[in-house]
Amino acid sequence: MARIGPANIRIDRITLAVCAFLSLIALVLPLPVREPIAAALRRTILAPMVKLQEKAELSRRAFLDHDGMMRIRDSVALEVINTGTLRDENARLREILGLGSKLKWGFIPAEALHGRGVRDESAIILSAGSNSGVERLSPVIAPEGLVGVVDDVDPTMSHAMLWTHQEFRVSAMSEDGTAYGIVQASASNEGGRFLMEMRGVPFRTSVENGTLIITSGLGGVFPRGIPLGRIISETKTSESWARTYLIRPEVFPADVYSVMILKPDRASEGVGAVWAVGSGADTTIKNIVTAGDSLAREAALAEARARQAVRDSVIRDSILKAAPFDSATVTQPVPSVPRPAPAVPRPTQQAPNSAPGSTQTPNQVPGSTPTSTPAPARVPATTPQTPRQPRTTQPQSDTPAVRN
Amino acid sequence: MPVSTIVKTVVTFAILVLLHYTLRPLLGWRAPIDFLLLSVLATAVRTRPAGGALLGFVVGIIADSLNPEAFGAGALGMSVVGYMASWLKAVFFADSLPLNALFFFLGKWIFDIIYFVAEQRLSSIELVYQIALWSPLSAAATAISGVLVLLILRPFLEPTAS
Repeated sequence: MARIGPANIRIDRITLAVCAFLSLIALVLPLPVREPIAAALRRTILAPMVKLQEKAELSRRAFLDHDGMMRIRDSVALEVINTGTLRDENARLREILGLGSKLKWGFIPAEALHGRGVRDESAIILSAGSNSGVERLSPVIAPEGLVGVVDDVDPTMSHAMLWTHQEFRVSAMSEDGTAYGIVQASASNEGGRFLMEMRGVPFRTSVENGTLIITSGLGGVFPRGIPLGRIISETKTSESWARTYLIRPEVFPADVYSVMILKPDRASEGVGAVWAVGSGADTTIKNIVTAGDSLAREAALAEARARQAVRDSVIRDSILKAAPFDSATVTQPVPSVPRPAPAVPRPTQQAPNSAPGSTQTPNQVPGSTPTSTPAPARVPATTPQTPRQPRTTQPQSDTPAVRN
Repeated sequence: MPVSTIVKTVVTFAILVLLHYTLRPLLGWRAPIDFLLLSVLATAVRTRPAGGALLGFVVGIIADSLNPEAFGAGALGMSVVGYMASWLKAVFFADSLPLNALFFFLGKWIFDIIYFVAEQRLSSIELVYQIALWSPLSAAATAISGVLVLLILRPFLEPTAS
């Protein structure tokens, strides 16, 4: 180490004094003078350090925000999951609501409680019991079709055997009524446990794939017309005198959460055309309205009102047009001899009773072009009964009688 | 001074300056570690008091550029601390780690006292609070960090036998 002499000590002290003096000068400089000097240092020597510091602070902020961001992300993910579940549940409840409005009476809504147990694949607990009017052997249905049957009833809950149960049987038939059989859970390895099979179909009867199988109503437990499933294929069995078909069920028990329990009197009364496949705007509007969507209901009602207004307008026009002709006809004496039958049949009386949605009404002249103008339903009733020459070009005779 | 010592000193100084602008904001403590002061102390002990004072002044004035309101306060504190560190180099970097820690602690505390008094930004209560509470805490953190740095860099900083 070099020896420090008095001269060096003096130099050191002078340097310290100069540094201190300069520092004090910097301290007392006015801000407009200090700022340019500081800015010059920041933009040159300190610039890389400032960038490093900025990145370090960003990293720290990201690290600190990480937990919060994760919490927010998890919350959003949870919301998204819940939204999907709620949407599905909403759709399911709307279906149940639609089914309830179609059944109108004689049913008990219930929640299906899945036990997640070993027997959960073949049985469920229902949240309604004898206090609600549930009885043993009441059919359990869902909007898609048959779920099972109540086999045990407690005051506040009941136990239902699902169609997947190995002892479950239901008399069934094809939708057109050409084939009858007994439907049960598939026992074959080919079908697996979650398919149905229809046994005992007469050998002379063949059912096409895709045919809807419904309950036949025979047996007295299940009313006629509840969908069971659709034919997938025919399976080979040892029963050579009858056919067995594999059915894809309409209801998968794992997806069932809300069900309807049919009361015995409703079951014996029948479910009518609750599951009948409707066509045309009428069914669609009804489905939407019964689905409980208020906005859709408003739109459907507005559309119905508009249709009614158009129909009333057409009725008024038809009456006004027909009035002079009819009065003239009535004043004429009725000939005593029968008039020859018109060349073209005039089945206008059957028009209101014709099936809605049919493409060609009975009173439509073959070859004539149907128009989209809605025809009044009661026009034929107001027209005179006296036969007259058919007006084959009138638009109301070419259209379905009732559209709404 | 041998060239190797100069290089080692410069490298140490650069590492500590980098830590000041990277690790310190990353930690974000209320009583921060002053790596810049450690770099001045570590370098000043290898120079004469005049060099220490000059280095302190330069580092301080550059650091002050981030806070023009206190422009010069850091330079004044660093100059004094650098001069004192170089003057007490016989004590500094002795084998006794507690002594080194005490020295770092005192260096940081003295610097803070000079800085906050010269800055004249804090009111009397806040100034007392800062000097009596936060500055000792910051000095303690700086002392502990300085000792750790010494332990890590001791093999690197030891003079080579020539």
